[in-house]
Amino acid sequence: MIEHGPLLERLLAGEFVCAVSDDRAFRRLEDEEVREQIDTYLRPLNRRLATNAEDSVYFLAWRQLNDEAREQLSRQLGDVLHSLMPMLEWLQLMQEAMGHDALVAPGDVLKPAELSARCEDNQSLREQLERLASDTFFGSQSEQLDAQMKQVFKRLKEHGYLLQPHADRQVYLVTGKIDYLVDLVRLIRDEENLPVDDESPQTQESLL
Amino acid sequence: MKELAVSDEHELESRLIGTGVERLALLGKHADALMQGYSRDEVPLEALSDSALRRLLAARIVWRPDDQGGVKLAPRVRELIAEMLADETRRQVNADVGETLELLRTLVQSYREAQSQGEYWRQEQQLLRLRQAVDDLNGRFADAIDSLWQRLNSDFGFVSRLNDKIRENDRAQKQIVRLLDGLQLIDFDELIELVGSDGTLRKLLISQLQRQVSQHYTSLREVQSRLTELMARFRQQQSRSRLISGMAAFLREHPNFVPGNYARRSEVPDLINQAVPLIAAAAPALDHEPDIRVLTDLVHQLPMPVHKPQAVAAARPAEAEEQSLVAARQQALKQDVENFYLTVIDHPDPSGISALAYLQESDMEWGDEIWLFQVIAEYQGLPRSEQRAFRLHQSESRASRFNDLRLIHDVTLQLANSA
Repeated sequence: MIEHGPLLERLLAGEFVCAVSDDRAFRRLEDEEVREQIDTYLRPLNRRLATNAEDSVYFLAWRQLNDEAREQLSRQLGDVLHSLMPMLEWLQLMQEAMGHDALVAPGDVLKPAELSARCEDNQSLREQLERLASDTFFGSQSEQLDAQMKQVFKRLKEHGYLLQPHADRQVYLVTGKIDYLVDLVRLIRDEENLPVDDESPQTQESLL
Repeated sequence: MKELAVSDEHELESRLIGTGVERLALLGKHADALMQGYSRDEVPLEALSDSALRRLLAARIVWRPDDQGGVKLAPRVRELIAEMLADETRRQVNADVGETLELLRTLVQSYREAQSQGEYWRQEQQLLRLRQAVDDLNGRFADAIDSLWQRLNSDFGFVSRLNDKIRENDRAQKQIVRLLDGLQLIDFDELIELVGSDGTLRKLLISQLQRQVSQHYTSLREVQSRLTELMARFRQQQSRSRLISGMAAFLREHPNFVPGNYARRSEVPDLINQAVPLIAAAAPALDHEPDIRVLTDLVHQLPMPVHKPQAVAAARPAEAEEQSLVAARQQALKQDVENFYLTVIDHPDPSGISALAYLQESDMEWGDEIWLFQVIAEYQGLPRSEQRAFRLHQSESRASRFNDLRLIHDVTLQLANSA
């Protein structure tokens, strides 16, 4: 268990461990035996190792859902819902600013300076960023585009969606927590039967 | 007669070679114009002289689809260039196995005929063409597989939109199916029968071809499974992107939407079950002998705290000392005055005892003024009932004729009932 010490500490502290945030730890967690060892260790702390649908990110869940745990989960769910709209808008902004037709994905490299430059030249992106940054979740007070972008990235780093490999360089990596967010959106869609379609029209045609 | 035929064949061959070299040279000579024809729709004619154009048309390097239209690259030349450039947007995958098999059958029959008639040179020629046909077939598969790998490894980088990537992937998968169908046409039982006992043919058409075909099978299956994987990834990306934009649009339309509280359900979805962070805290402890040395070392390694010259912390104890000194003196004065009052009680003198006289008789070092002040303060501080037990007489005078300020020279204290 000794060799898993630092990993356990990070998991207990509420971190999401993925191939981007810690490749070695992630590969160890892919080993079922290691997962069982960690689960045994966590049992007295009423916690267990959990993962998302694609097994791309690991975190700790309650083993037994007592009243206290449910209370905490309700609060947490409230926080997540509060951040949902700004997060979705951020994902869309990144996609548009980079001219991609796919969402940012774990391992993608993001440079705030480059993204600011793209927003600078495009009124619609500029407005999107402004609206996003002033949301209470991101909480930017600034009217400067660069400062808004910086604040948004800072908050995303605090929330574990981004990783900054070098503290003095403004280069960020997208972490596996993004996958978790997308899974969560899908969960809400399914649970609430929302009219949100993620099948492409092509595949629907081929089904007919 | 046979000799003559052979020399004719030789002549034919050398003429073919001559023309081939001449025409290949045309490709190099007009490379600029031809490449412009490759990248655009038509070959620009300004750069070509009439005779050059005639030669290019005769060599079937270019052609004129209709009389009014311009000159275009011949399909084969376009393919050749695409192949040379590994240009995946235009590279063709074409392995028409059926036709090649037909050619092989014909060539084997001619080879057999030449053999039975003892025409060794013709036999050699047929064998050479057989080798080339097998190589061509092999090369076409190898090229097709190479093209597929190129597209796969670049994630279909030659198109930028996800939808195009999905379409390209789909097209590549169909090509694989056609290639696999083509390989299936090669019937080795039939070939074994066809070559009979001829060792050379057997080696070429059975052992060599079989080895190559099985390699192509393996490669194609591998590319196929990788393409399917990649397709799943493309579809997943597309689905994620659509999900996020769909959800964002929904939330914009329904700003007051609140989903249910999944944490209160009997079955809490796994995804939202995320335990609260737990910090594994620790503090230095001195109950473990070997640790003490480590901790001591750590303390020694701590940087020395730097104090500023006018350290407030240094002034504080001195101040406190002074304060406590004042308090102590105040307490002593109070005690001495109380003793004075006790003396008055113990020696009930009807004329009372002068406070100043008492002070001078004792060896106390209080100033007159402060002594009198404390004696008066003590009297005024007594509860009214006790105050009545004493009579305090102040010997006083006016400060001056014009100033009604009263100066107290001394006080005399006596017991009230002793008067």
